[in-house]
Amino acid sequence: MSLELFSSLESILILALIITPIISGVLVTFLKKKKIIELVTVFSSFLILIEGLILVNSILKYKTISVFDGIFYVDSLSGIIIITISLVGFLSSIYSISYMGKQYEKLIIDEKKLVRYYQGFNMFLFTMLLVPISNNMGIMWIAIEATTLVSVLLIMLYVKQSSIEASWKYLLIATVGLSLALFGTIFFYYVNTADVPLEEDALGMDWTNLVENASGFDPNLVKLAFIFIIVGFGTKAGLAPMHTWLPDAHSEAPSPISALLSGVLLNCAFYGILRFHIITSNSIGSHFSNTLLMILGVVSIGIAAASIYFQKDLKRMLAFSSVEHMGIVSVAIGFGSVIGIFGALLHIINHAVVKSLLFFASGSISQKFETKLISDTSGIIRIMPITGFAFLIGGLAIVGMPPFNIFMSEFLVLSSGFESENFLPNMLVILFLVIIFAGFGKHLLKMIFGNPKQTIKKGDLGILSIIPMLILVSIIFVMGVYVPEPLQTLIEDTSQILLVGDLHN
Amino acid sequence: MIFPTEINLLDISAVILLVATFGLIVSRGFSNWVNAYRYQTIVLAGIVALIASVSNIWELYIVSALTLGIKAVIIPKILFYVTKKLDSPIKLEIDPYVSMKLSVIISALLVAMSYFIFLYLDIKSNEIIQVFLPVSFALFFIGLFVIVSRRKALNQMVGLLTIENGLFLFAVSLTHGFSLIIEIGLMADILLGVIISSILLFRMSRTFDSIDIKNLESLRDD
Repeated sequence: MSLELFSSLESILILALIITPIISGVLVTFLKKKKIIELVTVFSSFLILIEGLILVNSILKYKTISVFDGIFYVDSLSGIIIITISLVGFLSSIYSISYMGKQYEKLIIDEKKLVRYYQGFNMFLFTMLLVPISNNMGIMWIAIEATTLVSVLLIMLYVKQSSIEASWKYLLIATVGLSLALFGTIFFYYVNTADVPLEEDALGMDWTNLVENASGFDPNLVKLAFIFIIVGFGTKAGLAPMHTWLPDAHSEAPSPISALLSGVLLNCAFYGILRFHIITSNSIGSHFSNTLLMILGVVSIGIAAASIYFQKDLKRMLAFSSVEHMGIVSVAIGFGSVIGIFGALLHIINHAVVKSLLFFASGSISQKFETKLISDTSGIIRIMPITGFAFLIGGLAIVGMPPFNIFMSEFLVLSSGFESENFLPNMLVILFLVIIFAGFGKHLLKMIFGNPKQTIKKGDLGILSIIPMLILVSIIFVMGVYVPEPLQTLIEDTSQILLVGDLHN
Repeated sequence: MIFPTEINLLDISAVILLVATFGLIVSRGFSNWVNAYRYQTIVLAGIVALIASVSNIWELYIVSALTLGIKAVIIPKILFYVTKKLDSPIKLEIDPYVSMKLSVIISALLVAMSYFIFLYLDIKSNEIIQVFLPVSFALFFIGLFVIVSRRKALNQMVGLLTIENGLFLFAVSLTHGFSLIIEIGLMADILLGVIISSILLFRMSRTFDSIDIKNLESLRDD
């Protein structure tokens, strides 16, 4: 069953998914009381999580869902993105109460800024949710650009010199990058509609239409268009060498937002690359886009390795680690084998889980130690036992230690590298991963087990900062040993879409 | 059917657009930039209307009107407001990274390069594409050049808007525009972008006492 006009539950779900954060944002604007806006945001993001899960359940049943005359279209690829957004969004809203509450108590932000934060938080969720559900690639682009604008507002919340610098660079680089992606999108639109009469090209930018007609596209123009796409969306997804804005922006944002930026927003941009990768593969075969993805991926992991090894700032280290993991996803898609693609998709989810855990933990740590410098932070586990434990698990997971979840996906990725006989890139990836393991591990062990300064009061930050971390830790443990069956089906379906570009399964 | 006079009109409007864009490069003051951007956008709106009349697509008239309303009236208004309010004592671009004379020469080369790229592009072309596609590339490159060669944040913003104009012209001439809903979404994005970067500019001028981007070089890994 596929591509039918659902008028009932599914259309309501999709609509609810984007209306919930809007309503919540409006409520926040008018209610303005700290307790109430926190509650509203947590409740709405919980609602989004539930709606997202029900929608994914429908996706598992129907494979593809298209509602409102094909304006909205979701398949299992969208499902994966929706899961990560709604899960991290919900946990991040809980963590926000603790983190932003502390900032508020310490008078770093006032009530006005708090309201602005929660407005931005809700709008950020809205724009990100719009990305995976829109059928029209133009609207998808608009949504991705809107995520940039909203997150710029969140990054400059503190109005420090460094946050202004980070947001200006982010705005400039991401917008120029995305304008290249729009060039690519227009090119695809052109090759799709060049031969049809004007009256019929209204659907020419729809994903469903593009992927159906892909085999008839002009190969040279498709290649050119995909280069624009991968450079453009690659900028937003943090692929090197276009990643320069990322460490600044992700480290300057408030920690709950860093979690969303690194764990989820990068996936949204990568989702754009994946969609066009499928169209390109359908049109000229997968070799061309695979090679590009592989090269950019290896370069990203390499640059991240060097930067992590010599890093002095905790949050910047985590940001570079995001560059690394987007690189791994990119390489894995580039390998192009079944296992690799399965691994890449699993890795997208795993990375979202682990990276948000690490950003939550680093938020609590930097609030407690009042520094982001790695050298000034030591003995976390003695001062904040639970946060330290979560940070340790997250840190071990992110460098790919077994038995945690990222080990599983990285193992799949690396074995697919050998299986698809891409020995050189695979060896490079392994080399860089070893360097990252050493660098990250060195910083991590020192921070967690070193001798703490005597002046810092012991104790974790409130229960609301711990709950989201513990939920994430348990997900890391569970996903390390087995992938729940519905999720496995979802990823397998998505691998099918990526491999054969099969629209209807 | 395209008549000879219309072709001339197309050519002439393309030239006017390029000249208007060069106005961006040669001006020094804040308000001159905004004015240059406004003239450029008005010419662009005219071109869109012209394409609408040549290709008989009524939606493009609406797009042209939207361009005129949002990008030639509202956005310059916002930018003028920002210019007036900025505390920055110096409202001139003094010693940009690339001098004015050199800028003009480089921009001219960029225009030539755009035509060159177009020659190598394998596109089934009609008159509209032939005339405006290279110009849209030129706008894009010049916008990019303005961003990297100038020191004031406001100038970079105008560069960004020029890039966007180039993209817009590219889309309109190559594919006769997107559907109306996407155009409206794009305009909303641009408007929001201008508002947000204006807020950033205010913050910047209050925090650093200037909007010189040399202040924005503290975040790095070394």
